Amino acid sequence: MADTPAQAEPSRRADPRVLEMLVCPLTKTALIYDEARQELISRAARLAYPIRDGIPVMLPEEARALDDDELRHLGKK
Amino acid sequence: MSSTSKKSDPPAPGDTVSFGFKTVAEGDRQGLVNDIFSAVAGRYDLMNDLMSGGLHRLWKDDVIGWLAPPRSAQAFRLLDVAGGTGDLTERFLRVGGPGCTATLFDINPEMLAAGRKRLAGAGLAERVAFAIGNAEALPFPDKSFDAYTIGFGIRNVTHIDKALSEAYRVLKTGGRFLCIEFSRCEVPLLDRVYDFHSFEVIPRLGQLTAGNAEAYRYLVESIRKFPKQETFAGMIGAAGFSRAAYRNLTGGIAAIHSGWRL
Repeated sequence: MADTPAQAEPSRRADPRVLEMLVCPLTKTALIYDEARQELISRAARLAYPIRDGIPVMLPEEARALDDDELRHLGKK
Repeated sequence: MSSTSKKSDPPAPGDTVSFGFKTVAEGDRQGLVNDIFSAVAGRYDLMNDLMSGGLHRLWKDDVIGWLAPPRSAQAFRLLDVAGGTGDLTERFLRVGGPGCTATLFDINPEMLAAGRKRLAGAGLAERVAFAIGNAEALPFPDKSFDAYTIGFGIRNVTHIDKALSEAYRVLKTGGRFLCIEFSRCEVPLLDRVYDFHSFEVIPRLGQLTAGNAEAYRYLVESIRKFPKQETFAGMIGAAGFSRAAYRNLTGGIAAIHSGWRL
C-alpha cells in the first residue's frame, strides 16, 4: 500500500493544504514535496518523511535518510 | 532549539522514566504507549463512555466552551494535538463558525485513522487536515495557530516541558492553550469511590471490552503519576504562557488548564 505510491488513489493522496503548512519537525525548515514517491523531504535534516494513506508521517524515526547523491539531485530540480 | 528528539541524541543508557507505576528506559516509553493505543483504537470511544459513565463527553464540551471559538466567518485555526479519534476537533467545528479549521495531530496512525473516518462520516473532513507526529517536535512553523488543544494526551508525552514549549512556539501572539487531563480528585469520599473505580473497575472493563486489562492499568497508573492541578499550572507558566489557570471538573477527577501566548 504505502510502498506503491504510483497506485495510490487520488483521495488517499496527501491534501495539498496540509503539505503547505508543514515544516521539518527537527529543523523547522521548509519541505520539498515529492509527489511520485509520496514523501516530504527535509534538506536540512537529510530526511524524507513518508506520506502513508494520504497522511504525512512527521516522525524522524519513520523517515528515510537521504544520501549525498539524492541531495545533489534535489538541488537540480 | 533543543526541543527535538533526534535519533542521534539518545538518552544516556541509564535514563529511565515512569510508565504507569513501572519504570522503563526513556527511549522505550513512547513505543510502549503507542502499542497500547494501537491495541485499543477501535474501541477507544466506547471505553471512554463506559469508564467515565459518559462524563468525558460533558468534560470535552467544557473545553470547547472555554475556548469559545468565533461563530463568524473569521478565520480561526486550531491545532488538536494527540487528537486521536477527533472528539475535540468535532466539537470545535460544530460550535465554531465556517472560518474555523482544525489540524488533527496524533503520534498513533490507528487513532488518527479512526478520527479521519469519524470526521468524514460527520461531513466535517473538509475543514480538517491530518498529520502524524510527536507533540515534543511539532512540524509546524512558529506562530501558525490561534488555538492549541490537547485532550487526555499530555499525560502520555515523555517530556511534558518540551510539549509545552512547542505549543507556545506554534501559537500566534494572542493564541490560546487548552489542556484537559485527568487530575487530582479533591472531594472527600468521592476520592475513595474514584480510587476503587480506577484500580478495580477500569482494568476489568478494559479486559471485557477491549480485551486488554494491561492497557487500562497503564491508563490508571499514568493518571496518578501526572502532576496535580497547581503543579501543572506552574509548568504551563514556565513554558512562557500568561494567565495560566485551571478549572476542576467533577471534583477534580479531570481539570482543564488554560494559558495564553501574549
